[in-house]
Amino acid sequence: MTAPGTFVARYGIWIFGAVLLLIMPHVFTSSFALNLMSQMGVLIIFSLAYNMLLGQGGMLSFGHAIYFGLAGYFTIHYLNFVYDDIAPYIPVSLFPLLGGCVGLFFGTLVGYVSTRRAGTTFAMISLGFGEMVTALTLILVAIFNGEDGIQTDRVVGPEPLGISYGPNIEVYYLIAVWVLVAAAAMYALTKTPFGRMSNAVRDNPERTEFIGYNSQRIRWLAFALSSFFAGLAGSLHAINFEHVGFEQVSALTSGLVLFMAYIGGVGHFAGPVIGAVLITFLNGTLTTYTEAWQLYLGVLFVAVIMFFPGGLAGLIIMHQPIWRIDTRLLAPLTVPYLLFIGALLVSLIGFIGLVELLIYKTSRLGAAHDLTIFGITMDPSGVVPWISFAIVMAVGVYAIRKAFPVAAGAWNTAIDQARARAAQ
Amino acid sequence: MESFIFALFNGVLYGMLLFMLASGLTLIFSMMGVLNFAHASFFMLGAYFAYSISTYVGFWPALIVAPLIVGVVGALVERYGLRPVHSYGHVAELLFTFGIAYVIEEIVKMIWGQVPVPYDIPESLNFTLFAWAGLDYSAYRVFMLLVSVGIFVALFALLTKTRIGLIIRAAVSDPTHVATLGHDVPTIFMWTFGFGCALAGVAGVLGGNVLGTEPAMALQLGPIVFVVIVVGGLGSLGGALIAALLIGIIQTMAIFYDFGINAALLAVGIEIDAAGMFRDFARITTAQASPVIPYLLLVLMLIFRPRGMFGTRDV
Amino acid sequence: MKFRGIAAFLLILVPFGFASVVAKAEDTVKIGLIEPFSGPIAAVGRDTLEGFEYYADYVNARGGVLGGRQIEIVPLDNAMNAEKTTQQLRKAIDDGIRFVSQGVGSNHALNIIKFLGKHNRRNPDESILFLNHSAVTTSFTNELCSFWHVRFDANVDMKVAALATQIGRDPSVSKLYMLNQNYAYGQAFQSAAQQFLGERAPNVELVGDELIVPFGKVLDFTPYIAKIKASGADTVLTGNWGPDLVRFVKAAAASGLQTPFYTIYGGLPSSIAGFGGKDGVAVGIKQITEMHENDANFNGTPEFEEMNNGWTEYSGKSMYSERLGWVVLMFAMAVDKAGTDDPAAVAAAFEGLTYEGPGGAVTIRAEDHQAHFPMVISTMSDQVERPFLYNNESFGVGWQTDAWVTADELTLPTTCDMKRP
Repeated sequence: MTAPGTFVARYGIWIFGAVLLLIMPHVFTSSFALNLMSQMGVLIIFSLAYNMLLGQGGMLSFGHAIYFGLAGYFTIHYLNFVYDDIAPYIPVSLFPLLGGCVGLFFGTLVGYVSTRRAGTTFAMISLGFGEMVTALTLILVAIFNGEDGIQTDRVVGPEPLGISYGPNIEVYYLIAVWVLVAAAAMYALTKTPFGRMSNAVRDNPERTEFIGYNSQRIRWLAFALSSFFAGLAGSLHAINFEHVGFEQVSALTSGLVLFMAYIGGVGHFAGPVIGAVLITFLNGTLTTYTEAWQLYLGVLFVAVIMFFPGGLAGLIIMHQPIWRIDTRLLAPLTVPYLLFIGALLVSLIGFIGLVELLIYKTSRLGAAHDLTIFGITMDPSGVVPWISFAIVMAVGVYAIRKAFPVAAGAWNTAIDQARARAAQ
Repeated sequence: MESFIFALFNGVLYGMLLFMLASGLTLIFSMMGVLNFAHASFFMLGAYFAYSISTYVGFWPALIVAPLIVGVVGALVERYGLRPVHSYGHVAELLFTFGIAYVIEEIVKMIWGQVPVPYDIPESLNFTLFAWAGLDYSAYRVFMLLVSVGIFVALFALLTKTRIGLIIRAAVSDPTHVATLGHDVPTIFMWTFGFGCALAGVAGVLGGNVLGTEPAMALQLGPIVFVVIVVGGLGSLGGALIAALLIGIIQTMAIFYDFGINAALLAVGIEIDAAGMFRDFARITTAQASPVIPYLLLVLMLIFRPRGMFGTRDV
Repeated sequence: MKFRGIAAFLLILVPFGFASVVAKAEDTVKIGLIEPFSGPIAAVGRDTLEGFEYYADYVNARGGVLGGRQIEIVPLDNAMNAEKTTQQLRKAIDDGIRFVSQGVGSNHALNIIKFLGKHNRRNPDESILFLNHSAVTTSFTNELCSFWHVRFDANVDMKVAALATQIGRDPSVSKLYMLNQNYAYGQAFQSAAQQFLGERAPNVELVGDELIVPFGKVLDFTPYIAKIKASGADTVLTGNWGPDLVRFVKAAAASGLQTPFYTIYGGLPSSIAGFGGKDGVAVGIKQITEMHENDANFNGTPEFEEMNNGWTEYSGKSMYSERLGWVVLMFAMAVDKAGTDDPAAVAAAFEGLTYEGPGGAVTIRAEDHQAHFPMVISTMSDQVERPFLYNNESFGVGWQTDAWVTADELTLPTTCDMKRP
């Protein structure tokens, strides 16, 4: 056993992650970027928690934001109570644990009734609970304060080690630490007997029953634990923004975390991490450039379901057997892949151009402005831009149809070679 | 007593509207086992198509043409979207329709804009047929009621009495067998989906001008439609009808007979501090809670009887 | 061969992308406008942006501010999400923007006020001034009042007080039915109405007072119409907006309810488009605004006439929020008065600042930074000189003045205890 080798293989990715979390704020220093990265951290935890249900337990929830949001409300209330000397002081660093317990509490409660069945029944119950809780947050003004939500000041009590959590960078590092802790805990859970049984219940509940496990118990436990981590994330979210509102419990947040986990890939532990980072980034930056970013997100989601059900992580994992054997086998893939990506980009340019033209047409009926797409200024009332983008898109789609078999063929060849090598 | 019957009547009117919204969804589910999250989106498309068509040729052609277009759109979605996803299982199908709902909403915004469109009740039916308790009931509302009943009867007959219904039902329970008999099962599914979407389109044409035609309507109506078919029992047409009526009547009654929760709590000896954090509980009345009642019903039903009232199998 | 062509095409596009980013004029006075430009109510945000851009162009064409500097409006999309509002605020700070404006959604405004409270205290050199054009929560100029916040719209209490004043004067009102949305705004409307009706319309009997679950959850309003009918009410007072107003009005029209509706948001273009002009006229929708196009004072001065005609030409829309003009014009006045674009100086310059609008003087009260101005209550009608125009399409209906409520009648006491830096 070569100790350093196994150590790197086993913990390398975690160390890499920790270093990345450490240096990112020194690479992207703006307040906006810092905030975006903090949010990425929060949503990484949340989508990992969500994937405990969807990916590992096979439970599709349309209302998981409840636990995220309720923990947020609790956190803000508690901070305000501390501020008013009603409640005993707890270091802000430990609030996520408290939020986790809130999530756990509600998760245990709701999970008891909702996890009796899996599949569509479960999905529908989660939808029903989601709708009810959202309605309650609006009606019970004293607790939830309607659409205004509640605010707080996270700078409260003594400042251990000089950390006040006033500056955002301190909150970022708090989130970073919790990301590592929570991700490690959730990863460890997948390796426990419980984690394995959760997968078994997902794949075949009857058989699990035969070998003496109560499949409902396991779903319930998975649900409760997932709610715990969702609550933890919700608490961090509240501390980050010093605000919580009904959006946090609403179907919007539930849908967002579903998008993240699925686009990232539910089949692999790292999938939701990729999804959370990507979607949060797109969510935060695309709005500056286009009004149609929600459409693009939706199209991406549908495309992933239709063409890459393994998500982005699945695409990467597809190549694992190849690089395991010999990384040089990846080299012949480069040109076909670039061709395919190029074709994809061309069709995207055409598609985006058409969408932007259409949006322009409906949203600015009154004033006639020139429109700038990809830096090209054009007169959107003419037919030339429409035809040009349509042609670009048609060319792109045609190129995709030609390039995809080439790329797929290259992958098949590579994997065959890898298998042949492995067999030797 | 008269006021009770009056409330009952209003509840039935509303319930039949809900049934009309849900009828296509229950058809698709009972035939294909697909819970179509985008159903309300097809409803919305129906309303928008009807609006656009009616500005050119009037309401009556729109009533025919708009559902046909929606049906074709639905069939295309099934053929090029849902069918490839089918092999990944039911959860992927549900997710796909969820994504499609999202995309349809954005496309509607792109084409018709974000502001509601002025889609009005047709002049030819916009007259008062009768008045009761001071309220006018237009011919249009009665027409809607008749169409809803018509849809129920036609669907019921189609599924139980005709050869097509027989083939469709057979295709669900034993696709390979039906295929060997020379029927093209995927095509049957495609047209079933399209037909279900067309029904949503009919509901959109008729309901859009009553509920308001705007991009958020699918999001607002989507969940309630689910409640109707889940409570009624997935795949049960009669169940959907009864559930829709039940929800319509309960919601209407809750508004008419406005009970305060506080009174009920006091009756069982619970007193809520008027200044405390939970004071809002005391202020809730059944009228205020009425939009939440269906979801409560949904959750309770799924917990205690997951197959719904008349379902033949679990959700 | 083909691949090369595609690559070349992509490479050509790249410089264009950069060019559009770089080509921004420097040394402008920037106002960051944080509104929803995507999501469910993006139309409202876009209309607002169009207004801001128009009035900024108007000021810039007349020499700008501080002897030649231009006002630049920077749109920042919050997608109607409270967290995004905070993010965009940070982006504004990163980009050196010192003035932000917002108004759609009180929760967003509240977040901005709270955020700036902390930010301006922690970073006095980078302080930011918030120009609130439409967020109406009363507490923003009461217990939550801030030196860094200026509100150009009347708050809920003022609007309800104005409606109550007119209801008290209207001899046809004797029995009133109230229906509001059950959330912070709707409840504020309800309690303000209970208070001001008692003070200003003591002869009016409140025969119904309902709250409904907000945001489009109620599909069928017929039972409410039946209750209104049964109560014998002759007038309805509602703060509803969006689908909750649209369906309410549609149900009332369909059931032949003939009681006028006093509203705040009945005149929003999306409201009129939703229930349709015909139903609006049938029910008798009334609204409260700072101005409308068929009022006798509308073309009060040649400058205003020119400015407003220019707006309709520019946007294809009738004037709905005259105050969007005030925000920009008064901002220019305040910057010139302060002689600098330092936010603290501009905030101080706003105190007591007066702009003479066609409806009367608009004054920013120094104690709480709340604008005070006369407001007009008007009824929807299809017999008007200028029907309402939206995106070059006429709704076929417009507004007719019922009465004006003076600025004095709208002046309410404030509990504001403002801390000035």
